[in-house]
Amino acid sequence: MLRVQGVSRRFGGLLAVNGIDLELRAGELVSIIGPNGAGKTTLFNLISGHDRPDGGRVTLEGRDVTGFSPERLAGLGLARTFQHGRVFANLSVMDNVLIGGHTHLKAARPALPGIGALAELLLALVRPRSVRAEEAALRAEVTGILGLFGDRLVPRIDHPAHSLSYANRRRVEIARALALRPRLLLLDEPTAGMNETETMEIQQIVGELKAQGHTILLIEHKLGMVMRLSDRVLVMDGGRAIAEGPPERVRHDPAVIEAYLGNSATGGETPAEMAAVA
Amino acid sequence: MRDPSTLLPTRRALLAGVAALAVRPAWAADPVILGVSGPLTGPAAQYGAQWKKGFDLALDEVNGSGGGIKGRPLALQFEDSQNDPRQSVAIAQKFVGDAKIVAELGDFSSPASMAASPIYQRGKLVQFGFTNSHPDFTKGGDYMWSNSLSQSEQSPQLVTYAVRDLGLKRPAILHLNTDWGRTSKDLAVATAKALGAEVVATEGYMPEERDFRSTLVRVRDAKPDGLILISYYSDGALITRQTRVAGLTQPVVAIGSVYSPKFIELGGDAVEGVYTQSNFFPEEPRAEVQDFVKRFRARYNEEPDAFNAYAYDTILLLAAVMRQYGTSRLEIHDGLAKIKGVPSVIFGRVAFDVATRRVAGANTANMQVKGGKFIAWDGKPAIPRS
Amino acid sequence: MNWGTWLDYTVNGLVIGNIYALLAVGLALIFGVANLINFAHGSIYTVGAYVGWVCITHLHLPLLLTVPLVLLASAVLGVAIERLALRPLHNASRIAPLLATIGISLVLDQVTQLVFTPNPRALPSPLPDWRFQIGGGSIGTLDVLILAVGLGTAGVLYAFLRFTKLGWAVRATAQDMDAAKQMGVDTNRVNMSVFAIASALGGLSGMLVGMYYNNIDPGMSFDATLKGVVAQIIGGMGNVPGAIAGSLLLGLIESYGIALFGTSYRNLFAFVLLILILIVRPNGLFSSAKETPPEPMTGSFVARGKPLAIPRPVLVAVAVLAVFVPFVDSDYVVQTATNALLYGLLALSLTLVAGTVGMVSLGHAGLLAIGAYASSLMAIELGLPVTLSIALAGVVTAVIGTLLVFPAFRMRGHYVSIATLAIGQIVALVILNWNSLTRGPIGISGIPPLSFAGIPLYDAPQAYWFVLVVVVALALLQARVLSSHLGRTWRALRDDDVAARAHGIATDRYKAMAFAFGGFGAGVGGAVTAHLYSYINHETFNAQISVLALTIAILGGLGNITGALLGSVLLVGLPEVFRGLAEYRMLIYGVVLLLLIRVRPQGLLGTA
Repeated sequence: MLRVQGVSRRFGGLLAVNGIDLELRAGELVSIIGPNGAGKTTLFNLISGHDRPDGGRVTLEGRDVTGFSPERLAGLGLARTFQHGRVFANLSVMDNVLIGGHTHLKAARPALPGIGALAELLLALVRPRSVRAEEAALRAEVTGILGLFGDRLVPRIDHPAHSLSYANRRRVEIARALALRPRLLLLDEPTAGMNETETMEIQQIVGELKAQGHTILLIEHKLGMVMRLSDRVLVMDGGRAIAEGPPERVRHDPAVIEAYLGNSATGGETPAEMAAVA
Repeated sequence: MRDPSTLLPTRRALLAGVAALAVRPAWAADPVILGVSGPLTGPAAQYGAQWKKGFDLALDEVNGSGGGIKGRPLALQFEDSQNDPRQSVAIAQKFVGDAKIVAELGDFSSPASMAASPIYQRGKLVQFGFTNSHPDFTKGGDYMWSNSLSQSEQSPQLVTYAVRDLGLKRPAILHLNTDWGRTSKDLAVATAKALGAEVVATEGYMPEERDFRSTLVRVRDAKPDGLILISYYSDGALITRQTRVAGLTQPVVAIGSVYSPKFIELGGDAVEGVYTQSNFFPEEPRAEVQDFVKRFRARYNEEPDAFNAYAYDTILLLAAVMRQYGTSRLEIHDGLAKIKGVPSVIFGRVAFDVATRRVAGANTANMQVKGGKFIAWDGKPAIPRS
Repeated sequence: MNWGTWLDYTVNGLVIGNIYALLAVGLALIFGVANLINFAHGSIYTVGAYVGWVCITHLHLPLLLTVPLVLLASAVLGVAIERLALRPLHNASRIAPLLATIGISLVLDQVTQLVFTPNPRALPSPLPDWRFQIGGGSIGTLDVLILAVGLGTAGVLYAFLRFTKLGWAVRATAQDMDAAKQMGVDTNRVNMSVFAIASALGGLSGMLVGMYYNNIDPGMSFDATLKGVVAQIIGGMGNVPGAIAGSLLLGLIESYGIALFGTSYRNLFAFVLLILILIVRPNGLFSSAKETPPEPMTGSFVARGKPLAIPRPVLVAVAVLAVFVPFVDSDYVVQTATNALLYGLLALSLTLVAGTVGMVSLGHAGLLAIGAYASSLMAIELGLPVTLSIALAGVVTAVIGTLLVFPAFRMRGHYVSIATLAIGQIVALVILNWNSLTRGPIGISGIPPLSFAGIPLYDAPQAYWFVLVVVVALALLQARVLSSHLGRTWRALRDDDVAARAHGIATDRYKAMAFAFGGFGAGVGGAVTAHLYSYINHETFNAQISVLALTIAILGGLGNITGALLGSVLLVGLPEVFRGLAEYRMLIYGVVLLLLIRVRPQGLLGTA
């Protein structure tokens, strides 16, 4: 499904990602762990097209997608969430998640080369029956996705996202990514800032997604969740992969223990990671 | 700091825009009202302020010694357009729809005036664009009239002064890049050629520009023997000052629009020796000039300039038309075609060319700045004839 | 051209750049800390010039006394602006303070004009005019003094920011206001100090530049702000040393532009270079390219909140009432209503691109001009029927407008505003210089009147109904587009373009669609205006119209269609209502505008 070969990214003098290899097969859930500043989010950005690698190759389903734009990768079925949460603040919960379905709206990509944008504008104005039906179907689908989160989001479906709690915003992000009908789902610390109960809810949802056959790449600090869900774990430190393998083996790897003891796992992200997201 | 005219607005505010009503208490009849559309605020407000001085002086004369218009006082309704076509168009509808307004004066610039012309033309209200020299202004219809100096007259006169009288053979021309400046420049270049001189450079600049040093280097490198300025007083003064800083010592000949005490105030020592033309000058013996200059000095304690004179002349001209032919809109329209021999500061005697609805034959005096004053040219060429 | 001539152009460029630097430093300081383009900076500059004028020509004070008085007066003014007009808006959106500075500028300029009359004044320099010959020209005492003040302030500012406690607080606030607050920095005090310093500098520069040209007038503020903003953007927004370097560079660019192409191409050359600089170095020439843009995402530019929901029956009732406006039997009222509707067309377009998509355009009048010229030329030269030429002009404007703004699609926040401002200026300057097509400053006269099916619409009510139909139709179309997937797609792009792209939204495609749709409306608006006026030239659609359009869009509530129309009616109507106040009307208008911003910082009807 996803193959990352020798990918590197340099910011000034700092090698934020240094020759990472990673392979993800269909239906697998792989977690990336590591101390803050290890280069996890930068690696995510390189995979999702928000940043270009200085070296190495990324292939998705056998196709070389290195340096593809994020919108193109989204079209290929790659969905992601962001480390600090990036909901569309002025859009309602419903609209936020509808945006997730953008890539499979036929109204948004009429099959007319060259004048596609114009045709899209005209379709939006005229809105023939097929377009309305498509929109209605998408809304139904989104309502279904929101239902995954119990009564967390459904009662707030018309609220603007900026009025939501932090945890709910993270839920909206996950829902939005699901609406893309992802072939590959990248979740960047989905439980950051959540309490125990909320974390358990997310863990359960991610587990269900995996059970449904989703292919998931997860960045997570909460090791309990990582150990329970992951097929394999990649451990990063200082931009390099220091260990990879099944959770049980990684947990007892001396290099990993060293990295976690040597670094504080708390505190903010490094500037390099911030810059890469912004 | 404030001149007397700026103290008026509060009172006028109370009178809802009808100025000068309070001058005389004892009129039996309603006033005859002329509408004015012009800039009181915004970037061109200084010209509106100059107009007002000329208007108010003329109104005093018409309503004082002149006894008004057939026993009725003459008054103005000055509406602020900010020199903005959107507003001049609304004002035009207001004036056309107000039966009390018998004729309209203004607006200041061509875009503002000419946008309103179709409304005045269809409303059959005379639009008297006394600063609108745009060649197409009076082509807007038979209700568009102007006593503005025609560029086809003014520009050749200036170049004749510069080339034939002052002896320039290789002038450079700096001009405002507006409809007025551009038309004047084209006419000036043609006249210079006809007189056997070669225009070595022309540079158009924007009204808001203040820095001309690099322009003047360009001009210098064309090796002119003199500079012709098609400018207003503020930019004309800026250019002349910088001419000296840039090391150019050639004579400067500036169009009559710089004829203003402001030109000397803003230009300082640098404008000493600048040649210009004027349609009137204070020492001129003509009665209408003496009357205008003396009363202007007495009322405002300063020297009148060209914009004051245009405004003043215009009120007196329309007063004469109304006295002679009547105060209805149609009578004014017809009267303008018939009127002859009205004394004028600018023209001596005014009569319209009925085909173009413009006035020809402005008085033009050759002037020079000497000792911080405009005086009549002494007849000596700027460049000695070889 | 020989070497000596180039030396002259270089010296002249540095001399004028030196003057821009004084303005740019103050603007950069405020931008760096408050993240705000202070449109009132030029007005403070003007006030400083007049304070200097009073001291020197009326009170006959020596320069050594005049300078501190000018500094003090301008600083007090700056503090008052910050305290009274900007601080109350602190928790509103970022756009509200921007609008407030526009309002303050209007009020200050009007007050200056009322107190000192609109006439230009001489401000003679009391310094002896020693001149030094350099190449063919010379520089004088004032050039040296201005240079010394420019470098001196930069040096003092540098030392202040580096070595004092308050300076440290200023830098902390500039980097992250919330974090600075949490660290115990009194950000209010920081903001106030910065406004005091920047305004004192602005006032002093007004006085010095006034002396330099021996010429001050109340209308000089707009151009001063414009040049200062451009200069500091070249240098990198909020970057004080960069602002000085950018100013010198701008001076050189203008000077070389004159040298190469002539005076009438001066600004065209400068603005084209500005766009190129923004494309190549979006953070300015002297900021490091990797640095994150100092401004926030476009998303936080608009206010958060829900728009006021106006019940549909009310809207229908208002629309029906609008049909009956001509029955008031005053062509003046009808004409004013027509003007409001024409601004409404422009505001609809701007509220779409600025509000819905988040590209705050400051050059929207350029679109009007393109539409106006396109329709006029097609009607006159090709003899097309007016209704057809208007519709085609909309299409032409959509295409040209989109292509022109295309380079700005990748820019964010303030950079978009500046790029569009430059594009608006470029349109006007191309019109001015493209004589064979546009007749340059002579303009186009004899434009045929509005007509429908061959019948000319001469009367005010006929023209009104024509425009009303156009406005209502375009407003309904815009509402319909916004209710489709495009509406949420655009708004998503505005709120967070990174997240939008992650979900498959191609930025360029959707921004282009918005500009095409908005460009069509604005082009139609310009075209209708041209046929109403019968005469247009390069000045008919000037930068002030762009600023007014933005004022309308923000006041109505960004992205809000009803708000754009309400804003147009208010801001076109109010000056007419205040007409009886003559010279005072724009002052009162400015005050009312400031009050409205204070009461409804999110816009009258709220952001949609």
